[in-house]
Order: sequence, then C-alpha cells, then structure tokens
Amino acid sequence: MSPSRGLNSSVLRILRLSKVKLNSNQSRTISIFTEIPKANTQIYVSRSHSPYLNLSIEHHLLTKSPAESTILFLYTNKPSIIIGRNQNPWVECNHAAIRSSPLQPLLVRRRSGGGTVWHDEGNVNYSVICPTEKFDRNKHAEMVVRALHSLDVQGAKVNERHDIVMNTPESTVPFKISGSAYKLTRLRSLHHGTCLLSSPNLKDIGKYLGSPAKKFIKARGVDSVRSKITNVHVGNEDFENAVVEKFRDMYGNVETTFVGEEEGTVPAIEKGVEELSSPDWIYRQTPQFHFSYPSAPASEELEPVQTRSWNIAFIARNGVITKSIEHNISSAPGDSNSSSVENSIIGTNVYEVTDWAHILPVHEQQEIPVAKAMNDMLLVGVTPAQGI
Amino acid sequence: MASIARTLRPAASRLAVAARGNTASSIRSPFGVRAFSATRAAYVKKYTKDHEWVELSDDKKTATIGISEYAAHALGDVVYVELPTTPMEVKAGDSIGAVESVKSASDINSPISCTITSVNSLLEEKPATINKGPEDDSSAGGWVAKVEVAEEGVSDLDGLMDGEAYKKFTEEE
Repeated sequence: MSPSRGLNSSVLRILRLSKVKLNSNQSRTISIFTEIPKANTQIYVSRSHSPYLNLSIEHHLLTKSPAESTILFLYTNKPSIIIGRNQNPWVECNHAAIRSSPLQPLLVRRRSGGGTVWHDEGNVNYSVICPTEKFDRNKHAEMVVRALHSLDVQGAKVNERHDIVMNTPESTVPFKISGSAYKLTRLRSLHHGTCLLSSPNLKDIGKYLGSPAKKFIKARGVDSVRSKITNVHVGNEDFENAVVEKFRDMYGNVETTFVGEEEGTVPAIEKGVEELSSPDWIYRQTPQFHFSYPSAPASEELEPVQTRSWNIAFIARNGVITKSIEHNISSAPGDSNSSSVENSIIGTNVYEVTDWAHILPVHEQQEIPVAKAMNDMLLVGVTPAQGI
Repeated sequence: MASIARTLRPAASRLAVAARGNTASSIRSPFGVRAFSATRAAYVKKYTKDHEWVELSDDKKTATIGISEYAAHALGDVVYVELPTTPMEVKAGDSIGAVESVKSASDINSPISCTITSVNSLLEEKPATINKGPEDDSSAGGWVAKVEVAEEGVSDLDGLMDGEAYKKFTEEE
C-alpha cells in the first residue's frame, strides 16, 4: 500500500516505523517518496550513511517537492570526500592516500557549488530546501547557530564566507565547524552544510585532501579554501534534535519522517544514485585542466615549456586528454619528436589509466620515474559502486 | 538566475546602477535600425523574471540568450560557467547551464523554447567575462548562447518583459 496524498506527516511516520519493524532485513518497504508529500513544511532524517543515496534523496526533494514548501533534511555519511560541482578531483584529493586508507573513503561530486569537504559518522549534514524567492545565504546557517547555542556551544557564529566558526581556548583564530554550499534553480533552492561534531579523523583529513598533483595542474573551475577545523563535541542525535527544534520554531511544528535505503527504490532517486556514483559524473564532469610534469604549468593553456629535461604536458577536457606536448632534450618544441606523443596519449581517459608507463611513450630511462610519479599523483582507485 | 540577488541586494542594486552607465554601448538602442515600425519594436530585447535576456534577430529565426546586468552583479564574482552541449532543444524555463559564484551553483534557464546551436566558449576560459558584459553579444562579450527559434519560441516572447518593465521589476524586487 502506498501512502495516499492526504496523509499528514505524523501518520506517515507511524506507518514508516511500523513497516521498518515488520521487515527490517527483508524486502524493502514502499518509499514515502513514491508520491511526493504535499505538506508545506517537511522534516526528514536519513538513516542511510551512503553519500550517493543521501545526496540523491536531497536532489529529489529539491526537484520534486511542492514549489512553496520548506524542507529540512538531516543526514550523516560514511567516510567520504565531497568535492564541489565544478572542482577537479586530482587537485582536491590525494588518491594514493584514499586508496591505502583503512576507512576506504568514497569520492563524491555534489551538485552544489563550493569547495571540498570531509564527511564521516561524526559529522551531521543539514539541508534546507525552500522557494528561490525566499532564499538567503545566511538564514539557515543562523538557524544552526541557534541550535548550537541551545546545546551550550556558545562561541558559534556565521562568518563572512557563510561558514559557522567558533573560538577554542587553544587558539585566537576561530576554527571552522560547518561549511555551506548552495544549489539554486528557477523555483527551488537548496542550502546545505556540514557540522563537525565528533569526527575521529580530523588529524587525517589533511592527508586525504592534500593533493601531490596540485602544483602540476592549472585547472578551470573552483578552488577550495583551506580552513582550520575542529569538532563541536556534541552527539549526533542531540544536534539533530536541536536543529529540528529551531526549524520548527521558524516553519511550524511538524513531525520528523525517517528515510533511508527504501527511498533508493524510487526510480528518480535510484537514477540519481546511479549517476552520482558513476565515473562519468565524478571524473568526466571535471572542468578542463592542464597537467605538466616535472615542470609545473604556467597557465591554463598548453605551451612549450622551457626546460632542460624531458617534460610531459597535456590538456584534459571532460577527463579525457585532448592535446599534449612532449618536450625532449634533443627536440625543439613543435618538431617531430614533440608531435609523436600526441598520437599516443590523445583520447586517454585520465581516470581509467592504471599505469602511465603503458600510456606514455617510454623510450628513455629517464621517463620511467616520470611514469611512476604520475601513477602516484593521478591514478584513481575509488570504485564508488562498492560503497553504495 | 532568480535567486542570487537576495543576500547581496543593497550592494547589487548599487552595482547594477553603476553598470548600466558603464556598458551603455553593449545595450542595443531601440532607436537604431529597429525603430522603423511598430511591429519591429515588438522584438526588442526581452527579459524574464529569472533575470535572463533574449534578443531575437530581425528575421525571427535566431536569437541570443544571456543573463542580465542585474543578475551578473547580484551573483558576485563568477568563477565557473557551465555551458550546454549543442545542439540542444529546450522549452522555456529549462536549465541550459549554470554559473558558480559564492559557493552557489545557479541554473541559467532558457527564456523561450528554442534549439541551442552554439555557446560562448569564452566564458569557459574567462568566467569573469559574464560579470563584465553579461548583455554584450559581441565576440568579447558575456552572452551565453545562440539559438534557433521556431514559432513557439517567438510566441514565448509575448510573456516576457521589455527593458522598461524589467527595470521596474528589478527596482521592486
């Protein structure tokens, strides 16, 4: 039985809870999103920790909810690195560190703008979807600040970058505890943010986000702004309850509906998960970039490098190499040696390479370390499908 | 585009006023070639409530689309412009790309039903061009797309605002 449109959210909640109890490990129950709830104020908390599913539920709410409704959605993800819509995964993270991590962090490209953030079980994400005409960058960050204040996190405030920061006894510089990003469409807009509550991985985040390839890449798109981060030291559920309470103060006293795995069976959400976890979305949506090694690129454009050693440079568009220059000690730019490399590496999908020694025309001893260095910097080993 | 103006409104309207002065040359005068007859005047540049503009060619077969000066300044510094692949057939209101500024990915919507035939790839290379001359349809300008228009697209124009009405609209917003 699918819930009819007329049911209010508290009824839905009871329905949901009883279903979950009845068959918690067996067949999936019918999602409440089979039909979009019509209420003007809606609150959801996800019990899934899959970033691909949670972001797809969020996108479904953004695109399918009633035009005038305001929706709060809270979710927590397993360890993952979430890059902004227009960012470069080779600039933003250290793929070798991700591959060798016991946490097996997932790589995710979200649909909103902004920079790269870390998610894990000690971080709760809040998301508010509202009519675009009522959109305001700070309104709901301020709501979260009020929630934090109600939990005795007194120093929290919104800064000029729309992030939430707080002072700690150890430092005079405020630490970031929450980052915001936005997706604005014609009628509906979304503001989502992280909130670091008790991440056990703070000391390792720098390792995952520090890219060894960064200085060899000039990329179009968006750079991340580094900030010092800290935990708030509040329990996830306490934070969720406090945010729900402040949201209710603003928009009305509605019940919270729990969502999760079963929402992945809604065709639009299932399609969203498939798209977000595909290499096509994660890597091929990368804005054009210029990679040059060992000589760092001077600009976004491919140009002959003035170097005394062998150098390889390429332009990748949609994650695929479209142009390249090999500079040989013996060759001047533009001569036959320079062009030979073009034929061999053009068309290469950067994210599909498993060994650059097979891709580069390695015919000199000195090129072997180059191939190895490129493997360390550029090989990606994340197979999102495993993490769903 | 609708969105963006909100939090930055006071600064935005100041900037928008300043910008109108600076880029007068990029805005086609309705008193030029077009003012010959009343029927032609119906095809001057039109604007949407979402802050996009569309300017139909004299033969009503093609048009240029972009975002308004008001939107460009309200957005703040644009750091990336995502353009559609061509050709792409769209209905009025469909998303045809996006701009990123201030951690926001904002959709650009098509003002009319049309087929996008080419895009302004200068915006990929130099996204700030859209801040400098969003209503400039020259090769150095910040226009977004060139499109082919059929009957439906031409009639979509009737529902849009002319420059005067749009100006009033942004002042009220």
